[in-house]
Amino acid sequence: MLVRRFAIYTLSGIFILSIFFILAYSPSVIAAPNLQKETPIPLLSISDDTCLECHGKPGPTYQLQNGDTLDLYINPNDHANSVHGKLGYACVQCHRDVGNYPHPPFIAKDRRDVSIQLNQTCQYCHSSQNELTKDSVHARALENGNSNAAICVDCHTAHTVKRLIDPQTQELLPEARLWIPQTCAKCHNEIYQKYQESVHGSALIGNGNPDVPTCIDCHGVHNIEDPTTAQFRLNSPQICAKCHTDPEIMDKYGISTQVLNTYVADFHGTSILLFEPKTPDAQENKPVCYDCHGVHDIKAVDDPEKGLQVKENILIRCQVCHPDANTNFPSAWLSHYIPSPTVYPVVYYINLFYKFFIPTVVGGMAVLVTLDFTTARRKKRKASKSTGLETAEVKPPTEESTVEETIVEEITVEEPTLEVTPTEETALDESNNYNERIKDISESQELSQDTDLESDYGNEEVPDGE
Amino acid sequence: MENNIQIQTEVEDKDLQRKEFVRFDLHQRIEHIVLLAAFTILAVTGLPQKFPTSPISQSIIRGFSGIETARSIHHIFAVILLVVSIYHVIDVLYRIVVLRVDWSMIPVVEDFKHFFHDLGYYFGVHKHKAYYPRYNYVEKVEYLAVVWGTIIMAITGFIMWNPIAVTKYLPGQIIPASKTAHGGEAILAVLSIIIWHFYHVHLRQFNKSMFIGKISRIEMEEEHPAELAQIESMYVSLPEEKVIRQRQKIFFPIAIFITLIFGLGLIWFVTLEDTAITTIPKGETANIYVPITPTPKPSATPTTTQAPGEQVAEESWDGKYQAMFDNRCGTCHGFTSVGGLSLATYRSALQGGKSGPAIVPGDPDASVLVQIQSTGKHPGQLTIDELNQVIQWILAGAPEN
Repeated sequence: MLVRRFAIYTLSGIFILSIFFILAYSPSVIAAPNLQKETPIPLLSISDDTCLECHGKPGPTYQLQNGDTLDLYINPNDHANSVHGKLGYACVQCHRDVGNYPHPPFIAKDRRDVSIQLNQTCQYCHSSQNELTKDSVHARALENGNSNAAICVDCHTAHTVKRLIDPQTQELLPEARLWIPQTCAKCHNEIYQKYQESVHGSALIGNGNPDVPTCIDCHGVHNIEDPTTAQFRLNSPQICAKCHTDPEIMDKYGISTQVLNTYVADFHGTSILLFEPKTPDAQENKPVCYDCHGVHDIKAVDDPEKGLQVKENILIRCQVCHPDANTNFPSAWLSHYIPSPTVYPVVYYINLFYKFFIPTVVGGMAVLVTLDFTTARRKKRKASKSTGLETAEVKPPTEESTVEETIVEEITVEEPTLEVTPTEETALDESNNYNERIKDISESQELSQDTDLESDYGNEEVPDGE
Repeated sequence: MENNIQIQTEVEDKDLQRKEFVRFDLHQRIEHIVLLAAFTILAVTGLPQKFPTSPISQSIIRGFSGIETARSIHHIFAVILLVVSIYHVIDVLYRIVVLRVDWSMIPVVEDFKHFFHDLGYYFGVHKHKAYYPRYNYVEKVEYLAVVWGTIIMAITGFIMWNPIAVTKYLPGQIIPASKTAHGGEAILAVLSIIIWHFYHVHLRQFNKSMFIGKISRIEMEEEHPAELAQIESMYVSLPEEKVIRQRQKIFFPIAIFITLIFGLGLIWFVTLEDTAITTIPKGETANIYVPITPTPKPSATPTTTQAPGEQVAEESWDGKYQAMFDNRCGTCHGFTSVGGLSLATYRSALQGGKSGPAIVPGDPDASVLVQIQSTGKHPGQLTIDELNQVIQWILAGAPEN
């Protein structure tokens, strides 16, 4: 009886343990993955209640090296309502080394140093995001000694982390879109002030419009690129194009999706988009979208203050790079229009002219060249035949033979049935041709200098032997 | 053809056959070489800009190490083309004014007759081609196309080179219109050269006269029989040396003047305006790092509860030491009462823990708190300053408030 009970307990214990291990080591499918292998199993025996006994009421502090006092109080509700709290993560899963008591020594220069040190803990569960962050402008700034550079907790907070991604769709939650500019504003407030007045920002902040970009749509999320580099500048039109060439979004607002095409067709766009990316570090001063439309303060084109549909406004933009530009100058830029008989007609008609003129001239030349070439080939062949094969069947080319027929004839010339044997007269005629010409001309000139040479040639012509 | 020549040489005087004629003098050959080079480089640097999406264009531009270099080269050879054009104008004027040669490049009615004659020849109506003079309609078309094309390219090029100056007087639309025409004309020119020029002087027979300057009598018979006849009938003759000298005396000052005018025009063309700034326009002008001042956290030190109107001495449990002990010792000697000691309240502090009363008013030495803190090894160690304050407070009778 006792042995049997022991066996049952052992087996069930092993079962429970194995489930635990399977859960612990199974590959992750959610945004916050399971703990990594090297992560020690947290001391789950220490419940949040244990921590909150001390840290759950105002009071405990810690003296930092610079003399500041670090508040060690945590509002228990903050963590409980955070995404981590709701999922049941314990304090010691982030504060991994404080499970024992007394706490191990902790030295920090100042409050910022505390955050930077404790921030390391995020990577144990969110390693992929952490990897992305390493390439970001913030991580570089931090490496270069700028301790103000944003770390995980600056955006996500430490204890009140919110859910941002819908676990089903893996897409940003609608409410999270609204939080993003406010999050960035914590450090980039001056830019935020511009953004919230812009056509995009006002639509997001005012109306919660999901179509307009928030900060991350242009700058990325974790691997936020340095937007002051030449490379970012050269690639920036593609950022705008993501939405502005998408008819699904643009049709709602009656905005043209030809903006990228028309930009690329222009001198500025050609330079930026098609050639310079090959040398990504190239310093190129041709304007990108934001040089004319504004960076964070983009306004609708019909905005009376800054909209580019207003000639005065676009002239101001032109003059940034073309200081001497006058009022005629802005229309040198086609304003993203494709020339038509009503819009930019001069450009349209010149283009149309060349569309017909080039094929006409070049086609005419091609026809004449082909005629000359095939005729020369025919004559040459005839001349060579006249000295050679005499016994072959006579089949002279027809007078009216067109270019196509001549070509066919040339291709099939090897077949004996098609071979040509000119008469002796023809050969003689050909050979004497030049002498006759010279004689003719000399004679005609001696007779009368005013006589039209051409008419003489015509009269002198030998009847065709063919 | 070879047969013809073979038979012909037997018949004709051999000396006559070896005879050569000067077709192009040194000036013309230099003009042609420079034009050839400039045209080619202009096409190679220009057409990729007309067809920017093509991978060929992009690799060409890469070959020039970027669009800016390619544009600079395009500009340099545009200037070279204009220089050779000016040179050509002076050269032509010299021929007309001093040498008084025929205006052999001007199209005449005869050219149309020759054209229709040749059409007849192609379709077998005539036995031979028209007897061409010095320049036939093929050459005239090409020459005039080059002249016309250069004028169009120079004008549209000027407009694109100096858009600010141009739009002072003309509507802005003229700039993209010029760009369209410049590109269209370029395609036309390149295709014409490939089809028309390459066929007539390279493919049909390789005509070296533009490089060596001379043409054989056989080629003359073949290509320019009318001119040959004119020459051989002594119909063409240059003026006497003396006459040429006299005319040169008048011509050269005029030529210098014209060159000067054109030269200044060219400098004006190139240096008329500074179209744009050379620096990169500044993107975002706002300061990057402007943090919102964070709302201050509630004070870490809780304020003690006190009855309204009650005066609390600073050096008292309520005024100072409850908070100090809470902060510094509360982690263990608060709720958790490690070692039975809780410093949460005045009462519990006086009561002490396992080791005895933590605080004995008036007697720091008897106070276990002072005893243990004095060792300097307690986990929640007070600073010396703090400990001294505590000792002073105990000496003063450890007032509660």
